[in-house]
Amino acid sequence: MISSRESRGDLIFRYTNATILGLISIVMLIPFVKVLATSFSGPHAVGAGQVYLWPVQFTWASWKYILGLEPLWSSFFITLFATVAGTFLSLLITALFAYPLSKNEFKLAKILMFMIVITMIFRYPIIPYFLSLRSYGLYNSIWVLIIPYTVTAFNLIIMRTFFKGLPKELEEAAQMEGCGYFQLLFRIVLPSSQAVIATLGIFYAVGIWNQFMIPLLFIEDQSLYPLQLKLREYIVNVDMEAGGFGEILPYSNETLRSATIIFATIPILLVYPFLQKYFVKGAMLGSVK
Amino acid sequence: MMQMANRLHETKKAFSNERIKKRGGARNIRKYWPLYVMVLPGVVFLIMFRYIPLAGIVIAFQDYMIFKGIMDSPFVGFKHFQALFDYPQFWRVLKNTAIIGLYNIVFVFPVPVVLALMFNEIRNIVFKRSLQTIYYIPHFFSWVIIAGLTFDFLSSSGVVNSVRGWFGLDTILFMQDESYFRIITVLTSIWRDAGWGTIVLLAAISSINPEMYEAAMVDGANRIRQVLNITLPLIMPTVVILFLLNIGNFLDLSFEQIYNLLTPMTYPVGDVIDTYVYRVGIVQGQYSSTTAIGVFQSVIGLVLVVVFNRLAKRYQEDGGLW
Repeated sequence: MISSRESRGDLIFRYTNATILGLISIVMLIPFVKVLATSFSGPHAVGAGQVYLWPVQFTWASWKYILGLEPLWSSFFITLFATVAGTFLSLLITALFAYPLSKNEFKLAKILMFMIVITMIFRYPIIPYFLSLRSYGLYNSIWVLIIPYTVTAFNLIIMRTFFKGLPKELEEAAQMEGCGYFQLLFRIVLPSSQAVIATLGIFYAVGIWNQFMIPLLFIEDQSLYPLQLKLREYIVNVDMEAGGFGEILPYSNETLRSATIIFATIPILLVYPFLQKYFVKGAMLGSVK
Repeated sequence: MMQMANRLHETKKAFSNERIKKRGGARNIRKYWPLYVMVLPGVVFLIMFRYIPLAGIVIAFQDYMIFKGIMDSPFVGFKHFQALFDYPQFWRVLKNTAIIGLYNIVFVFPVPVVLALMFNEIRNIVFKRSLQTIYYIPHFFSWVIIAGLTFDFLSSSGVVNSVRGWFGLDTILFMQDESYFRIITVLTSIWRDAGWGTIVLLAAISSINPEMYEAAMVDGANRIRQVLNITLPLIMPTVVILFLLNIGNFLDLSFEQIYNLLTPMTYPVGDVIDTYVYRVGIVQGQYSSTTAIGVFQSVIGLVLVVVFNRLAKRYQEDGGLW
């Protein structure tokens, strides 16, 4: 094992390394903390540039205002639905696809793997992609937020690799008792694959929650805007305050924008700690190849 | 009863070996049909969302008209490709794309490797976990939000300019200044994805046999030497695979990133192929010429992957993607 005697050089190296990583992590958090602080600050303090990492003139006003915005909630629920439904569907179809590909007795495994890898190496151009999906009737449809992610080559390969690495004995025993492949997959294989399911679940959920390009291309109807499109509208284009001219408001565009940014990030961030336990293990599947 | 049937089945199998070889496919389907049913949704997806769009590149060789469709639009050969190369706009966006692509390979790609090596040197598990979590957080932000944070961070009243103010330096409008656009794309890419990128690498590191380090310590190698002579070489195959997956996307920059960070003032350096294709193709409806650009992009990507894959195989046993 590691010897308890550590040379001076190693000690210096270890502490320098930890310090550098620690400092960078603080720098990385600054923009986030600043936005959080701004969302709880008064408009004058923000306008005067007094807010750094702690709220000044603390107020809930911005939060109350944005949480009362009807369109923001409607976009929120669209994104929530797309994320939950999309993650579930993606995991299901990926698992159904990956399982046969991990079986030697499945004759098409090689050809299908080849077909999947090709899609990773030769990318379809965006215009034909757009035209095809539009011809399927996915233009201005909420399904366009869900379906295009259903099978991601990278995730599929990870799941197949994981299935291949599972001990054969469990399945063989169940097979002796007359279990069919569907039963094997749903009763034996998936329950022992929590790690990979959690990992890919995060990949899919984060991807769907944060998607911007597909909705930008396909969703024109404002009432179908997912959160990210709505956010872009708020952050870049539109003045959010609805107050009349000259009125003194307890919030400003900047504080409202900050609150909206936090509002749109917290839900997906909350997924992480719940799944972290599995996630750390899932990452151990490692070898992509 | 069952057993007998089975045995009969076995005997038949032995006798008709020849026939099995010929009709192996049909028999495989009959015997393992559930497997075929399982892959069905995935295969349908693959065809509808990957291969049909791929086949759609024929419109790059047509004067595609929506009301006529792919079947009836006239073929024009390489007209659109020729037009591209004569078009100064195209060279501008290609140059911008290639420069940012190069920056990504040179400055962004190595960061997760270095980070992973550094993470691995931290002994305190709790400290390590919390650090990792902090480094993962930005990956959960969308590009819309990251752009919002960046604009805020770099605005005239933002953190950076306030700090400059303390030192008596002038305010700089970073987001509206051409000379900062590329560095901002690099830094935001690193901020968002470098931590996340360590996941696969840390997994690779965790599979290294501890005996390697023990042997090195017996030989008197210090930690830095161990990192450079053991950890790094042993995760190289993973790094190479990640590099190959990256190089194929050399010209496919993150549309979401660039689009959200662009301002009218930064167009001359920040307008890249994807934003151009979006504007001219999707918004203005010039489908054929922009598909030609897309084909060009994909072909360059393919060539790069093939070339680098060959290089990887030359220098590394069993290296490369295939």
